[in-house]
Amino acid sequence: MAGKPVRPVNAIDQTRRMLSLVTYLRERPGARIEDVARAFGITEDELVSDLDVLPMCGTSFRGGDLLDIDTDGERIWWHNPAALGADAAEPLRLAADEATALLVAARAVATLPGLRESDRQALLRATAKVETAAGEAAGASSRLSVTFESEGGVFADVDRAISERRRLWIRYYSPARDEVTEREIDPIRLVSVGHTYVEAWCRRSEARRTFRLDRVAEIKILDEPSAPPEVELRDLSEALVQPAAEDPEVVVEVGPGGRWVAEYYPHDSADELPDGGLRITLRTPDPASLRRLALRLGRDGRIVAPRELADSARRAAHEALAAYDGVDAEDTAGGGQTERPGPAAGGRAVHDGPDGRYDRQEQGL
Amino acid sequence: MAIAKAERLMNLALCLLGTRRPLSKRELRDSIEAYVEASGPGRGAGGSDDSFNRMFERDKDDLRELGLVIETVESLDGEIGYLARRDSNRLPPITLDAEEAAALGLAAKVWQQARLAGAASGALQKLRAAGLLEDVDPFEAHGALEPRIPVHEAAFEPLMLACRDRRPVAFDYRKANAARPETRHVEPWALECWRGHWYLAGFDRDRGAERVFRLSRITGKVRSRGAAFTAPVPDVVTVRETVASWAGEIADRTARIRLRSGAGYPLRAKAGAVRELGDGWDELEIPYGHGLDAWLVEFGPDVVVLEPAELRADVVDRLRAVAKG
Repeated sequence: MAGKPVRPVNAIDQTRRMLSLVTYLRERPGARIEDVARAFGITEDELVSDLDVLPMCGTSFRGGDLLDIDTDGERIWWHNPAALGADAAEPLRLAADEATALLVAARAVATLPGLRESDRQALLRATAKVETAAGEAAGASSRLSVTFESEGGVFADVDRAISERRRLWIRYYSPARDEVTEREIDPIRLVSVGHTYVEAWCRRSEARRTFRLDRVAEIKILDEPSAPPEVELRDLSEALVQPAAEDPEVVVEVGPGGRWVAEYYPHDSADELPDGGLRITLRTPDPASLRRLALRLGRDGRIVAPRELADSARRAAHEALAAYDGVDAEDTAGGGQTERPGPAAGGRAVHDGPDGRYDRQEQGL
Repeated sequence: MAIAKAERLMNLALCLLGTRRPLSKRELRDSIEAYVEASGPGRGAGGSDDSFNRMFERDKDDLRELGLVIETVESLDGEIGYLARRDSNRLPPITLDAEEAAALGLAAKVWQQARLAGAASGALQKLRAAGLLEDVDPFEAHGALEPRIPVHEAAFEPLMLACRDRRPVAFDYRKANAARPETRHVEPWALECWRGHWYLAGFDRDRGAERVFRLSRITGKVRSRGAAFTAPVPDVVTVRETVASWAGEIADRTARIRLRSGAGYPLRAKAGAVRELGDGWDELEIPYGHGLDAWLVEFGPDVVVLEPAELRADVVDRLRAVAKG
């Protein structure tokens, strides 16, 4: 199911869960497997594997005080709850990592511009209560913070359209073609991964599309009902867009100053070059859309293949230079200073510009 | 077959939680089957005490990691005993209404990092065991909103722990334009995620000043350094302002450009003033910060920089590099 927490088999997580299970089951003789699994956010298989371990646990394997917990496959029975003193089964305080995980996430979500005020208030109240309950353990949460970006007005309209099941009209900017187009969409969900996106059924292309909110130039909630077809929600945790195997291949060679390309573009391979640069192979359904990248890279990199893409970037550069009076494309002697000294800790490329990882959003998935 | 670690940890936890007096290491070893097994037949002769001791120390650390407060008590005759007192391990009273419970359910699903996702689930399970969250299903989807905190950087977890425990670290770091990474010695203060990328702020020991690092530029392993912090940790660490200035978000000047009609929507959205020239071109005034030259070049022949001269020269220089191929 999309949206389930990532949960690898891990002795610490399982121990933590079993300690809570013991507390929970003690109060609920005959609890149903199905209900307990749901209450703990785990699969029934995971619960059954916990129930296999618990009978091996107790305060001493010699004293015969192992937990006598078993199941008939439907319900869970604990035959000797007295094996643990009442106070040994009390709910446990939150660990530093637990408090951090909840608090940092709750604070981050509360910063989302456009979030409903009632949701924001609930998040803030819950945060305050968890802080109090966690006590000192909450302190470490101040060392992590996360900001989600969103366009508040657009977010609020999309959120409202989803809850009222209404269609949206948008004007949307596509960086790949540098154009703004109008379309009607039936919104499905809002996804925040750094930036915020709306996943929707696009009525113009009759396909699922993902739109980044800060590229929505204009938005209106229409009176027509929204009727997106049933689509399987994918897990969007890795990348919103994954290239398809049949997409044409593009090869880019970058110097040290162009290594950011590997961070922003999903790629098949990135091989180290002797000068500290990279040879990056990636795929895209529309190589022409990478002309922007070729232009942006300047002396920090070049397109190796396909040839037409490299040529088109070269032509664009020539054409652009022609507009500058007295500037000769071939004259490199008088070149201006581009090597601006970087900030001390070294950084760039976080600009919206090279954020090409998501440039294919509007092209569908 | 060796006894599973989760079973061993669970037994140690139950022993420590269930006792009212400190239990000695020997008592614990005799009560927990996995320890008896690990100690082997030579037990008592000292033969495999080492492996038991190492296992026991690791297990205690693991239980502390999941929140157990384990006290160490020395008895009158000098023997060390261990126990997890109820008062220090009990969840304090807390009540949550349905909206608050749903909010925590949403928050718990946000992490895309195994350790914190596990911790968030564990926290909800503890609250669930305490009888909270009864009326809602916090593990179910919360409406149509799905916030996700991506963590792709391998350096994240060791740095998170180092920030938490205030431990200095060393790592190899490749600056934006550097051909080779360089080893940096850092007292890590805080991690911040902005636009899906993680940054570390801390005190750079070699440079004797605060620095911000982008985690994706850390190469190789993050190594722990034993000693304590030498520089004071500021109350407020502002990573985002630093990163925003790299990103050109902080513009202190204005540039004037010509933009082809209909092109460059994002430039128009940022523009302070737009004037139609009537010849198929518009004139715009836009904020001029770090990185603007690279961005303008992306628009190719649809943008002409008018001023300042410095920006014009930078853009021409970049265009020449591309024109040369």
